[in-house]
Amino acid sequence: MARWAMVIDLRKCVGCQTCTIACKIENAVPPDVFWRRVVDTEIGEYPHVQRLFLPMACMHCSDPPCLEVCPTTATYRREDGIVDINYDLCIGCGYCVVACPYLARTLIEENTPYFGEEAGYIPPEQAVYDQNRTGVCTKCTFCLPRIDEGLQKGLQPGVDLDATPMCVASCIGNAMHFGDLDDPNSNVSRLIRENYTVRLMEEMGLDPAVYYIVDGGEMVEQEQHQYSQALSEA
Amino acid sequence: MAEIRKVPEYCYQCVAGPDLFKVVVKDGVAVGIEPNCDFAGIHPANGRVCVKAYGLIQKTYNPYRVRKPMRRTNPRKGKDEDPGWVEISWDEALDLIAEKLRAIREKGLLDEEGYPRLAVTVGSGGISPAYMGALPAFFASWGPIDFGIGSGQGVKCYHSEHLYGEFWHRAFIVVPDTPRCKYVISFGNNTDAGGGVLGVWRHAEARVNNHLKRVQFEPHLSVTAAHAEWVPIKPKTDAAVLFAMIHVVLHEHNWEEVCDLPFLKHMTNSPYLVGPNGYFMRDPETRKPLMWDEKEGRARPFDDGVEEPALTGTYRVRGIEIGPDDTVWEHEEAECQPAFQKLIDHVAPYTPEWAEEISDVPAETIRRVTREFLENACVGETIEIEGETYPYRPVAIILGKTVTNGWGGYECCWARTVLATLVGALEVPGGTIGTTVRLNRPGSDRTLSVRPGPDGFMDQPLNPTDRKNWKAHPGIRNAYRTLVPLANNSPWSPALGPAHLPWLFMKNPPPNWPRPTVPDVWIIYRTNPVISHWDSDTIAELLKGFPFIVAFAYTPDETNWFADVLLPEATDIESYQLYRIGGTKYQEQFWKHMGVALRQPAVEPPVDARDLTWIAKELCKRIGLYDKFIEALNKGRGTTFPLKSEYYDYTLSPDEDPSVEEIWDRVCRAATMNLSKGKEEHGLDWFKEKGAFFVPFPEKKWFLHTYMVEKGLRYELPYQERIMRAGAELANRLHEHGITWWDVQLEEYQPMPKWKDFPDIWARIAEVFNKRPEDYNLWLVTTRSMQYSWGSNAGIPLLADVAENVLGHFGVSINRRTAERLGIKDGDWIWIESPVRRVRGRAVLREGIHPEVVLTVQQFGHWVTPVAREFHVPNLNQLAPLHLALTDATGSGADVVRVRIYKAEPPRDGHDGEGFGETVVSLDDLKQEGNGHGEATVPADDLKVKV
Repeated sequence: MARWAMVIDLRKCVGCQTCTIACKIENAVPPDVFWRRVVDTEIGEYPHVQRLFLPMACMHCSDPPCLEVCPTTATYRREDGIVDINYDLCIGCGYCVVACPYLARTLIEENTPYFGEEAGYIPPEQAVYDQNRTGVCTKCTFCLPRIDEGLQKGLQPGVDLDATPMCVASCIGNAMHFGDLDDPNSNVSRLIRENYTVRLMEEMGLDPAVYYIVDGGEMVEQEQHQYSQALSEA
Repeated sequence: MAEIRKVPEYCYQCVAGPDLFKVVVKDGVAVGIEPNCDFAGIHPANGRVCVKAYGLIQKTYNPYRVRKPMRRTNPRKGKDEDPGWVEISWDEALDLIAEKLRAIREKGLLDEEGYPRLAVTVGSGGISPAYMGALPAFFASWGPIDFGIGSGQGVKCYHSEHLYGEFWHRAFIVVPDTPRCKYVISFGNNTDAGGGVLGVWRHAEARVNNHLKRVQFEPHLSVTAAHAEWVPIKPKTDAAVLFAMIHVVLHEHNWEEVCDLPFLKHMTNSPYLVGPNGYFMRDPETRKPLMWDEKEGRARPFDDGVEEPALTGTYRVRGIEIGPDDTVWEHEEAECQPAFQKLIDHVAPYTPEWAEEISDVPAETIRRVTREFLENACVGETIEIEGETYPYRPVAIILGKTVTNGWGGYECCWARTVLATLVGALEVPGGTIGTTVRLNRPGSDRTLSVRPGPDGFMDQPLNPTDRKNWKAHPGIRNAYRTLVPLANNSPWSPALGPAHLPWLFMKNPPPNWPRPTVPDVWIIYRTNPVISHWDSDTIAELLKGFPFIVAFAYTPDETNWFADVLLPEATDIESYQLYRIGGTKYQEQFWKHMGVALRQPAVEPPVDARDLTWIAKELCKRIGLYDKFIEALNKGRGTTFPLKSEYYDYTLSPDEDPSVEEIWDRVCRAATMNLSKGKEEHGLDWFKEKGAFFVPFPEKKWFLHTYMVEKGLRYELPYQERIMRAGAELANRLHEHGITWWDVQLEEYQPMPKWKDFPDIWARIAEVFNKRPEDYNLWLVTTRSMQYSWGSNAGIPLLADVAENVLGHFGVSINRRTAERLGIKDGDWIWIESPVRRVRGRAVLREGIHPEVVLTVQQFGHWVTPVAREFHVPNLNQLAPLHLALTDATGSGADVVRVRIYKAEPPRDGHDGEGFGETVVSLDDLKQEGNGHGEATVPADDLKVKV
């Protein structure tokens, strides 16, 4: 069985939010809710300042704290590592929102129309908004339907567009990669092997499935501190 | 089971395209956008599109779209006058417009002052042609049209870069050869926001795989500076740093060791001898410029095979100088110096310490960056590409918008290009290269315009300045042919003239000048000058007097508020067009293929919108121009592919009434036959499925180098003899006609530009409004956002949703220390006040911004446009004076304003309501005093900058 994972090359990310918008359209995410976004922040004091871009979403941890606190077993972890939510079971209690250290979860009370209540839902919203997804908690699913349908068609996630999460497929910096951690020859395994990577809050022992490539060597410690700081500001 | 279709399209919502994508259509509704991976191996960024393309779903189904043609019922125009729109049929709308247009043809196409009665303004930089279908064929069939009434674009663009870039190296836009470059120095060039998909992709790859280092001189820490060494700099002082860099090369290094001497000697005018009057010393018989032959110890013509021309020294030479208006100075023996010697002496005063005082950039940083530039230049090295050997010079200097426009733009462009020539890094792999041409022809391949011109340089037709051929009448209201020799006279030239002058001069005509009239009919497309032009209030005031405005209208907006007819056009994914793609093109579009891509109706428009090609055709029928319209289509006007060539004949007859599909089917066939040289023919149906057609484009065409060498041509650098002569002649012409209001601009025509106190020009404009310059102690500047740049997409809420994640996007960025000093906290409402107006915004406290700078993003301040009118974001244009003194010789200005800031009360209801802010100097005052609009209280002469 695969363990799906993402590798994000922070040297290439420019904070353009193309992944953010591609995710919103693909997953019909309502206004002001983000299943993923790029945190854009500054570190340091003038004139010694650095601007950081940090794409953030569900980390699909091996040991997800959101799962532990879920009173209805709505949150579950698939064999392939994807952490998903069964909306039929979710009661919108929000425990998981608090438990997630990556701030990756959002309660959706209702799917509000983008152009406002007066204008109402536009046809694509009518076509794609999932009405089961109100009063529940939501988050990134690694575009699970794309992966499952892609695999059924014989496609390879991370290689074929139709089987790859939209954030990765849309990235214009070639910063984002998706694939199988259990396959030593996959693109993500190779990237992790060949580059210096960090995972956020690794010390918590959650075994997150999102790896960040950063400049190696003496910079690493400093950058890790900066990313942690950026995260806390997010 | 839902029916899913994926429809191929191109996206050209920014000038850095086109790129390719697919619309996902579910049961007839567009629900998604995807990269087009069918061309992953051809598109240099693997078929990706940027954040803007994903906004097209909401763009299509925007409930606030103009749903049918509309006619104004309120005859009064003004920002407080509701237009009273009523829906009318397409027949009624077209009949109404045709009646006005026929009336023009009956009266004469030019008005009593000699200006075209019909004016057309298209916006969004260079992208409108990619969405106008065959509308240009209507324009071509009409006759004289004034395309030069500006909307902000054309004067706020990379203006000096466009004009001088093409002049020097066919570079309408200048970029690094990113994949091979090692060291980029950028002065405010915001590639990661405005460089498009390819810009982001290429730089990211080069950064990681090629260890490309970037140094970013910029007043604020832009998204691009995030991956660079950020060096804060005061606005409009970039030229000082660039001059100092030349000084460091020539005075602090051994230039004979670090410079590319063969390049300087044989591919530039560095060895040309300059006579006592500042013009090239020429051979009296052949009139060719002379060089000093060090071997033979005598002066010889430049093309006489001189192997070792002198770059330095002083020589006594017999020859002539040719000045303006055929003035000839004959010298039996005069002291001459090579242009390079002149350059060395010219930059002697510009030390790093001198530049530090002006720019706030430490002298040692200037020295170090210059040293790193030299170390990375790899002078003497070569590289092989496609079997050919080239010089390899992996260093480049690139400039941002506000660095290359307005005063100081020429100086920056000149210094940047001179630095490239010093190390031979111009138009070679790794170096500083151009992308495309707009003033020369053909536009599809810049290397084809490398033709021999005078004195061993490339041919570049300038607008004539001689007594016989100078155009005393401006022709169109922005006078690009009369005032700007470098603007040339291509179809793009009207948009690159001083496109703000029509507004300025309509308000207050200058002396001895044909009175700029209001056009009888003004047609506008994808443009909103009431938002995008400086001094928005004045534009709105002037629009009250426009008798008939036809607006292609997506939603109501601030400019079509003043229109008489609104025409809803079928937008991006609702209409047909075949457009050129690939080759080399701005910003970083460098392909190994060139071809054409189709835009097509993925879905039916949800409103009664029509394809612009249909609208053009129907209008031409109604005004008796149908024959000419068909003729224009046959010639390829607007479509760029003639319908007849040696390989094919798909011409249309005026007896036919082709549908929109039939017209584009013929263009598809013509394009494929043309590109394949008669080998492949594909019609519209083929393109609807495949999306695009490509043929190979050799990498050789990315660089001018081989074409220059093959033709034995030199770059016209560092010495600007031709510019100096054109300026002197232009001065003569204008003075002969009693025109002195352009005298300050004429000073820009220098053979080698000197530093002037550019920041002081913006500071002293306060005096025009009877204010004290010292009271405005901060600089207001703007920056691009990828979400909105060029996109005409301010009304799409999804883009605002994601743009909220961009640091400071909808606020006013201020240095934290500056804000603390002023008692301003993060999130506070503040006033930004210029000498003319004040507007409110929310403070965003940042570390990544110079303490003397405040920053806004893009251009908002909407008060009509649905969705955007809720943003409550200040717009620099509301604060920027419109004034001749802020106009440089190329006819451009810059988005910088001197301001002060202070805390404000929150606006009523959370926003300003009208979006116009508060006027500090009332328009009535300005009218009475006649200042601010062409004739200053302080005459232009008094605003002469210090030299």
